[in-house]
Amino acid sequence: MTKTHYHAIGKKTVRKDGLAKVTGQEIYTSDLFLPRMLHGRVLRSPYPHARVKKIDTRSAEALGAVCITFKEVPDITYAERIVTIPQKTFKDRHVLTDHPRHVGEAVAAVAAETAELAEKALGLIRVEYERLPALFDAVEAMKPESIALYETIFFGQEELRVSNNVAATREIIEGDIEKGFLESEIIVEEEFRTGRVYHAQMETKSVVCQPEADGGITVWTTTQTIHNVRQLLGEIFKIPLNKVNVKKISVGGAFGSSIQMNSVVPIGVALALKARRPVKIVLTREEDMVDHCKYPSYIRLKLGAKKDGKLMAGHMRVIVDIGAHNTQAYPLLGCMAGWWVSLYRLPHLKFEGKAVYTNKVPACAMQGFGNPQVTFAVESLMEILAEILGMDSIDLRLKNYVGLGETFWGQGPTVRSIIQSCGVEEMLLKGAELSGWKERKKTLEGTIRRGLGMARGFHTSGAGAPMPGEVIDYSGSIVKINEDGSVDFMTALMDLGGGTLDALAKIVAEELKVPLEKVGISSVDTRTTVYDVCTHATRGIYCGGGALHKVTAQAKSKLLEFASRILQAPPHALKIEIDEEAGQGMIYVEGVPGKRISVGEVAKTAQINNWGTIAAVDSLRQVNCPPTFNAQFIEVEVNTETGVIRPVRAVLCSDAGQVINPDLAEGQLYGGLYRGLGYALLEDTDYDKETGELKNRGLFTDFKMLTAEEIPRLEDIQTYFTHTREPTGPFGAKGIGEAALNPTAAAVVNAIYDAIGIRFTKIPVTPEMVLKALNEKRNQG
Amino acid sequence: MEYYRPQHLKRVLQLLGGGKGKAKLIAGGTNVIPDLRGKTIQPDALIDLSHLKSLSYIKEGNKSIRLGALTTIAQMASSKVIKNYAPILSEAAQQLGNPLVRNRATIGGNLSDASPAADTAPPLLALDARIITENATNNKKAIPIDQFFKGPNQTVLKRDEMIKEIIVPKWTSPHIKTAYIKLGLRNSMSISVISMALWIDVEEMFCKQIRIGLGAVAPTPIRALKTEEMVTGKEITPDLIEACGSELKKEVRPITDIRASAEYRREMASVLFKRLIERVTFEQRE
Ligand SMILES: Cc1cc2nc3c(=O)[nH]c(=O)nc-3n(C[C@H](O)[C@H](O)[C@H](O)COP(=O)(O)OP(=O)(O)OC[C@H]3O[C@@H](n4cnc5c(N)ncnc54)[C@H](O)[C@@H]3O)c2cc1C
Repeated sequence: MTKTHYHAIGKKTVRKDGLAKVTGQEIYTSDLFLPRMLHGRVLRSPYPHARVKKIDTRSAEALGAVCITFKEVPDITYAERIVTIPQKTFKDRHVLTDHPRHVGEAVAAVAAETAELAEKALGLIRVEYERLPALFDAVEAMKPESIALYETIFFGQEELRVSNNVAATREIIEGDIEKGFLESEIIVEEEFRTGRVYHAQMETKSVVCQPEADGGITVWTTTQTIHNVRQLLGEIFKIPLNKVNVKKISVGGAFGSSIQMNSVVPIGVALALKARRPVKIVLTREEDMVDHCKYPSYIRLKLGAKKDGKLMAGHMRVIVDIGAHNTQAYPLLGCMAGWWVSLYRLPHLKFEGKAVYTNKVPACAMQGFGNPQVTFAVESLMEILAEILGMDSIDLRLKNYVGLGETFWGQGPTVRSIIQSCGVEEMLLKGAELSGWKERKKTLEGTIRRGLGMARGFHTSGAGAPMPGEVIDYSGSIVKINEDGSVDFMTALMDLGGGTLDALAKIVAEELKVPLEKVGISSVDTRTTVYDVCTHATRGIYCGGGALHKVTAQAKSKLLEFASRILQAPPHALKIEIDEEAGQGMIYVEGVPGKRISVGEVAKTAQINNWGTIAAVDSLRQVNCPPTFNAQFIEVEVNTETGVIRPVRAVLCSDAGQVINPDLAEGQLYGGLYRGLGYALLEDTDYDKETGELKNRGLFTDFKMLTAEEIPRLEDIQTYFTHTREPTGPFGAKGIGEAALNPTAAAVVNAIYDAIGIRFTKIPVTPEMVLKALNEKRNQG
Repeated sequence: MEYYRPQHLKRVLQLLGGGKGKAKLIAGGTNVIPDLRGKTIQPDALIDLSHLKSLSYIKEGNKSIRLGALTTIAQMASSKVIKNYAPILSEAAQQLGNPLVRNRATIGGNLSDASPAADTAPPLLALDARIITENATNNKKAIPIDQFFKGPNQTVLKRDEMIKEIIVPKWTSPHIKTAYIKLGLRNSMSISVISMALWIDVEEMFCKQIRIGLGAVAPTPIRALKTEEMVTGKEITPDLIEACGSELKKEVRPITDIRASAEYRREMASVLFKRLIERVTFEQRE
């Protein structure tokens, strides 16, 4: 690591939005009240699969409510997630439908003066449904005799026939696996299953839409991408983009749940356009829980290795039950292949993936986009392999990991780049030391058994690559130096709660050497910003921050040029440093006393002399998506009488490059651990096969998540950041967020194995499963 | 739907007897509100009890302690009287729901809702509590708690009848021990997968009398009468404990639901029993 003297980067600071958030003053979509605003509610199918035969809204309208049904919304098939290029985007959705394919799919909506009236009106809409047979199992759904959920869907502009309910498939081959397995001396194979988890973001999805006098609309909504929402609304409602303005507003957590334009958004817009008044819809928790979930997966993985541990071949077969809509399962499958092959070198490999429609809640991106699923399988099987080889599993990993200088394609086969920073070895060795990996011993006696498990993983920082692929990935910013030396920046990049925009402010402050307090994050909308694709894929700091860094450097050139006129020295002779006392960035000529002027004075002089505003605007596509690696060591206690598993200690290592917000970065590691433990031990959604409803009925009472009581205490969690710098990242930074969760489930099942000698290949691992397995083991002697 | 908020018990009973269609009492509302939202109940009228301060009390008498029906779970959890005379009820109250729920939830509501998993029921069963009810014609009844529950969400209460108070007898023998365990899918904010309360009169490992209250293992909270019989008047030995565990597995009649399977609950009945017996006899062994 090069020696650096940063005043903002890597410093613990108070979040710019912190005070407003902790005092409840931050405004979210659900807080908005506009003059003449109506309240909207959505009528949802009570059946998992049905046809609407008749729908009668007259009684609701007699109450004064504005009603819309599928007949009154634009007849357009759209895809709610448009991060993928249009040619590779699958479309199967409608704003409202007469053919609901899951319990909770929207068929009509109302808006009325009050929420109570809207609720009442909703109850007065009469719908006659014809129930259709429903499918709740992906394997079942693929059988030829199963009912077809879709006749056709769109792939780009092209209409596609759907056969066997398969929404997307992907096959990727490198080398020759037959040869690879023939050359292998040891072959291991296992089936893995992961749960159908609800995002459980704090704020339920919401929208406020105001129709404008000029025929345009202004929209506030929970989203990870204001520009994609704008473009989709323009397309659906045929409004030119200059008249569709999506305002940026704080979101109460996302976890991927708003990577798309949520289904409630066009419903709110359609209501507002019909009512010609602003309309607000805030989903209830019950509605939110039937809107999206994480992709559950079935993974069959086979690995072949030489006796010395060198991996020779791999074969992964994946079936993903995507539920009722294809929220871009095609890129998901590409990424799942990518997550796998970018973990370990496989000379010969084959990936076969299928995404299958069922009558369940549609799955969409959630923390890792297939990565936690794949890493769970890979890191479990690596442990199995290590045991058979009689090798320490850390040594096995060190022998095979994809690292510095190697090609990787985490974001799928079209997003290839070279790894330029890598802390894998440092993390594995340091993590082993901090966790006591080598000294761990088995206690196979007593009711409470302890075990230590480890797993590693990574996530990409964004989806950039030298060549344009299937994924759109670029960002942009505007930077403006004010006449007192303070700075405004404007970016469409969303902060999902992790403090991304604070990190961006630090990048500006550092580049211009102005105090952090003097950098303002502007409230913006789609009119006042250039395009940013979306805050997803752990790309906020690396891609959004990278673009901002580039633009800030451009503003800095202009600043130095103006300063050079004043100081009468060429711009490249000028240096810039922070003067904390003056609260200013200072520009000076090294070694020449008196040649010193503050950023504020330069900007003011430029204004007085009519030179212009010091500002810049530009976009940047990152041509890498560097892996932010991590490794986790987790200790659990297993109660052999009740089967209850309690995680008691964790060592969390992260290779995020230069850390920009140290405390928030730690927070990301804690958060990843928390959600990862829930993924491994508790969170899941199950369906009533008769009614097609979620068994938890959309209530948190029965969508259980861990509480502070069931996770390791803060003092029992150690974090460790590697001494790496990413040469292509802003100030050496990479991403962190999703990586923090990817290996957790594998580390937990590996720890359970260490504790009781039983390997679980299905998560969540419930007390029941543990007890059953213990009894079986006992009965076998 | 109509809504009433009477200030006096008399008026509540009047309303209940008034035949105003299907009237529903609402105390803390922590069952009623979710039920209304989930449309599992659709009453014509709500009678809000939350203003009946006269029914919110914990009183200590010579032979018993008395709890008004509107006493909140939070009040119970922090009450010294309950801690002294009914420590298992205190524990159950402390573990019910979360602080927000405990501040609103009442004991009357918990019992009247008659969930198989109602957390105050197992300790009250073990403590042999009585439920005092009153109806529209001011008839009062004292119902032993083991006769109160009829089925899931069903009690012996008539439509014009409500719970007024709960009476928990103080115990007389110095050799009485009690213990309680709740097992949920997590440690807090969790509906019981199974809960068990034990009341035992035991001296030098000899059991004079025992009462076992169980939650979430049958259509209602229950007493494990057969198991109790096996222990009563016996020396407690490891073999007996083992046998009781097996008996309990047979005696309970759990169902499989979203939280756990019937088999798991059966298995846990025996595990929890052993733990409770070990706890109460710990000092007497060796
Ligand atoms: C998040 C959450 C967590 C919970 N966790 C638990 C838990 O861990 N354990 C547990 O046991 N319960 C739990 N509950 C359920 C509930 O909180 C309890 O059952 C509570 O004690 C009910 O009391 P209440 O005053 O809120 O009842 P209400 O909802 O007001 O009423 C419940 C029922 O009792 C009737 N009723 C109320 N008072 C009387 C009376 N005096 N006489 C006759 N009938 C009456 C009502 O008509 C209704 O049928 C939980 C609920 C929630 C929302």
